Amino acid sequence: MEKLDLTLNINHKPFDVRISPNDTLLEVLRDHLDLTGSKESCGEGVCGSCTVQLDGKPVRSCLTLALEAEGAIIRTVEGLADGDTLSPLQESFVNHGAVQCGFCTPGMLMTADALLKENPDPDEDTIRKALSGNICRCTGYAKIVEAVAHTAHPQDQCPDCASGIKSCCKAKE
Amino acid sequence: MRLPQFNYTGPDTLEKALDLLAAHGQDAKILAGGTDLLVRMKKGLLAPKMLISLKALKDLSYIQQDKDAIRIGARTSLADIIASGPVQKEAAALSTACEKIGAATIQHFRGTLGGNILQDNRCFHYNQSAFHRSGRQACHKDGGKICYARDESDRCNSTCQSDGAVALMALDARLVLASKGHERTVAIADFYTTDGILPFAMEPTELLKEIIIPIQGAASAYQRLAYRSAIDYPIVCAGVLLKADTGKKDTIGEARIVVGAMARSPLFLAKESAELKGKSFTDTQAFQKAGNGAMNSASTFAVHNVGATLEYRCAMVAEMVVRALNEAAGSGKN
Ligand SMILES: Cc1cc2nc3c(=O)[nH]c(=O)nc-3n(C[C@H](O)[C@H](O)[C@H](O)COP(=O)(O)OP(=O)(O)OC[C@H]3O[C@@H](n4cnc5c(N)ncnc54)[C@H](O)[C@@H]3O)c2cc1C
Ligand code: SF4
Ligand code: FES
Ligand code: FES
Repeated sequence: MEKLDLTLNINHKPFDVRISPNDTLLEVLRDHLDLTGSKESCGEGVCGSCTVQLDGKPVRSCLTLALEAEGAIIRTVEGLADGDTLSPLQESFVNHGAVQCGFCTPGMLMTADALLKENPDPDEDTIRKALSGNICRCTGYAKIVEAVAHTAHPQDQCPDCASGIKSCCKAKE
Repeated sequence: MRLPQFNYTGPDTLEKALDLLAAHGQDAKILAGGTDLLVRMKKGLLAPKMLISLKALKDLSYIQQDKDAIRIGARTSLADIIASGPVQKEAAALSTACEKIGAATIQHFRGTLGGNILQDNRCFHYNQSAFHRSGRQACHKDGGKICYARDESDRCNSTCQSDGAVALMALDARLVLASKGHERTVAIADFYTTDGILPFAMEPTELLKEIIIPIQGAASAYQRLAYRSAIDYPIVCAGVLLKADTGKKDTIGEARIVVGAMARSPLFLAKESAELKGKSFTDTQAFQKAGNGAMNSASTFAVHNVGATLEYRCAMVAEMVVRALNEAAGSGKN
């Protein structure tokens, strides 16, 4: 099968790749570019662990051909932190114990990041709905929801967290 | 899971796309959002030689409203339909149906309305990995001679699980199909064969261009049942439309009841719909009777191939229809 050359714009950097038409965006990220943050779990659109952003919207990279992503602004979990400085959302995931095995985390982060761009201070229902396409087998979701809700209320500003109660003020409202 | 190999082409005009379909129709497939097609290809259910991507055909994404209809380009994303004011106002059933599809991150930004209507019928004996299917004899849809969903059946009974199609049938929508040098419009109610293998009355050289929803000043609603509230296909659903009598505002002049996920296509229930004519919008007994009638009619088609037990799905038909009728009647649109 013919190989094709294309340039993908990932985390604001151009990447030249030589691909086959049947390569998914996820395969190109992981196998060609060593951007292994995005995970493959089901491979058929169900779990959300492969979620990346295309032009700011969360999509399944396992069901997106690399060719279809040409020309789009692609953002992966590797693009969230600024060097060693985590994004406020990532920081909140760490502080709220929202990561256990971590396999769902990149997808959760990319979905939640897209939500927070649209609505920086969402309520619990909105968060649960936005994350409803991402499956987590470890945390039971409560801590993930708290972490997202808490992104706009960092620990030092939160009376509960400051007094040592780890559960989030916002998610419980 | 790897995709099988194929050639990819992304025509930038409708003419080019139709030329490609005319030349390669049998061997080619249209790629819209890919959220149905690519899953089936990964499972080895089909292996088209060519994918014709709609990516560059931005002209096929639009929602236009004129005096008597809303026109939606087939490539319009589900997210755009959910966000559309005119659709919410004039075609509430479609708005709700799109919102319920899968989960936002799977379909809403990449999945399209055209792809939603044209997604293949499903069956849990068939929509499985190649490895799973290799463990047993092939069924009709897989090229064999048996059906696991209904004993002794000489044909395929796969189920149409499209949410959008049910709402669109309730809204009496029409589909515009284009092929090289030709265009035709069909009512969505006439668009289905009774064949589970090739469920759509459509040529391989045709492309779905537009969906037309007549504006009737009627109320519509959509109700569905699934195991989970997200990432899940419906196991029963119902779309309804209620239009007031021109003379008497509190009386139903026309009703359309459509039941989905129970047969090879959405089912328009003509008898139960006609019986609501002349009834009051507050006649809940008539709604219950319509629900029971819908249950009896739809139950004759259903087979056990989409999850929950057949008994449960059949029983829930009545519930979905009654809920949808109550919702439409109470929506204040009459
Ligand atoms: C986990 C999961 C859950 C899902 N849940 C639901 C659900 O709850 N309800 C539901 O209805 N669907 C569901 N789906 C199916 C699917 O995602 C949606 O139906 C979606 O709207 C399909 O649109 P698409 O643009 O991605 O279609 P594609 O996959 O691109 O296309 C589907 C089919 O239509 C053909 N096609 C598409 N556009 C055209 C056109 N303009 N002309 C001619 N042929 C065309 C393609 O060739 C293909 O055969 C689910 C899918 C997954 C993976
Ligand atoms: S309904 Fe029967 S023939 Fe059709 S896909 Fe299912 S098992 Fe196969
Ligand atoms: S790996 Fe893409 S949705 Fe599961
Ligand atoms: S942390 Fe293990 S799957 Fe979510």
